[in-house]
Amino acid sequence: MRSLARAAYSSFRVSLRLRVVSTWAYLNWLLFPVIFTAVGLFVLSRPGAPDSHLTYGVLGGGLIGYWGIAYLDGGNGIQDERWSGTLEQIFAVPTPLWAILLGRVVGSLLFGLLAFVPTVAFAYFGFHALVPHLDVARFTISLGVLTFTFLAIALTLTPLFALWRWAFSMLNGFELGVYVLCGFMFPVTVLAPWAQGVGAALAPTWATRALYASTTTEGPHDFAAWWTAAIVLSLAYLVAAYFLYALVERRARVSGELALA
Amino acid sequence: MGTPGVPAIELVGLTKKYVTHRGTFRRTRVENVALAGIDLAIEPGELFGLLGPNGAGKTTTTKILTTLLLPDSGVARVLGLNVVTQTDAVRRRIGFVFGGERGLYWRLSGLDNLRYFADLYRIPPSVSKRRIAELLERLGLSDRQRDKVEVYSRGMKQRLHLARGLLNDPEVLFLDEPTIGLDPVGARELRVLVRELADAGKTIFLTTHYMFEADAICDRIAVIKRGAIVAQGTPSSIKKLVEHQGVVEFEVVGLTADRLAALRRLEGVSSVALVEQELAQVVTVHCTRPADVMTQLGVILDGMTMLKVSSREPTLEDAYVQLIGDAS
Repeated sequence: MRSLARAAYSSFRVSLRLRVVSTWAYLNWLLFPVIFTAVGLFVLSRPGAPDSHLTYGVLGGGLIGYWGIAYLDGGNGIQDERWSGTLEQIFAVPTPLWAILLGRVVGSLLFGLLAFVPTVAFAYFGFHALVPHLDVARFTISLGVLTFTFLAIALTLTPLFALWRWAFSMLNGFELGVYVLCGFMFPVTVLAPWAQGVGAALAPTWATRALYASTTTEGPHDFAAWWTAAIVLSLAYLVAAYFLYALVERRARVSGELALA
Repeated sequence: MGTPGVPAIELVGLTKKYVTHRGTFRRTRVENVALAGIDLAIEPGELFGLLGPNGAGKTTTTKILTTLLLPDSGVARVLGLNVVTQTDAVRRRIGFVFGGERGLYWRLSGLDNLRYFADLYRIPPSVSKRRIAELLERLGLSDRQRDKVEVYSRGMKQRLHLARGLLNDPEVLFLDEPTIGLDPVGARELRVLVRELADAGKTIFLTTHYMFEADAICDRIAVIKRGAIVAQGTPSSIKKLVEHQGVVEFEVVGLTADRLAALRRLEGVSSVALVEQELAQVVTVHCTRPADVMTQLGVILDGMTMLKVSSREPTLEDAYVQLIGDAS
């Protein structure tokens, strides 16, 4: 068990080190989230807009950056491994794939949290935008729950990139879909009912709702229900992931798609 | 090493085919047979070479044995362990090195690459620290261990690959074209290392394109073509397949098709290979009576400029060329 934990930790460290030297990773956590924040604040900070909407501008860019790194970087990481020829190497070691990917995803999540630093700073210094009614305790718990939902999704989806080379082409579509359906940049209540239904099946929707609720005094505050929904859905994803990993381990050995050719 | 009486590697009726699809709208399923039922038994401590042209099934065989691929049918065992059902146990006891520069984290140092893989092989830190230092020293990478892999030469990268493959002190080491792309000095150093490992008792399964490499270091070889083993034995026994033959080589300027055809019609000539060079053509003739062919050359090439002519004993490469040709 100790050797398994050490392998996952080593994978986490390598994940961070590879990101530190990657220009792409800097674009993901530094530049793109700031652009989203700038656009969001420009749209939402018009005279008369409620404070609660402004919060979407302050935190939305960071959330998009966080999700982008957790999910997109995880998928990119697998594709990078395939390009560099290391995917086969990590697949054929005595450490199970899920433990290696767990380390990678946790590394992505830690790096992804950095996206809040430039966005919040930009919102404060560029637009003097603040989060005046922040409930620190509930905000922290909500961010923790959100992190767990991202972990569950990334851990469930990342092996698909190992299994299918073409899965990478669906990556951007799913990334953008989650931005919209989970209400990272605006309340999901503005979406069509069917879209809200789809969003309700996504764990980050509930965690995001709790996160924004912890920054405002307006509206209902059913934190316990939202956190529970997010955690239960995430656990369901992890149960699916358990079977998915067994499938990936087998299918990848049938198709030989771990290598480029 | 291994269990007494149990082959280090055993393949029985191993088959594998890859399924692809052609076409965009009307997709057609295409099956490519990579292995058509191969049988092999390799003893512990042997340095075994698998030779064959591109697409013959060498890499597929290696990947099945290293647990990266599943066979469609047949049995593959390493150290008595079934590679399909006892995957984890196999992975702990084998190492593998694939040729080329890929397969390493270029943005990490050589040392960090080894530390990472040591953890993935779940080697205790006290053991891995000592073993990494030993491997870096033995493979001549100690001085550059903290440099990023991206600044390593190709030879250094290949030695780092070998160090990675040896991290878990494997009983069986798989080397898939390990000297591909290396300069002659680097390739020779690697061959010496591989031979030393075999002499130290490790079982080595080597695939290569280079006949001289197999001839120089392998205890036994097998030739594979289109997924089937067409010959196996010691390098000298394989060479015996063409021992009744000799080889005549000559360089000539302006050889015409009719004269080449006349050469092919000579009695006892089994094959004629032509390589175009800048100013001349190099012709290799495999035949049963080299002396007769050399005499006839004067007649067939009458009036042409002959630059060089020689006769020699057949090599493993000649045997290989004949086997591959015969099997087509």
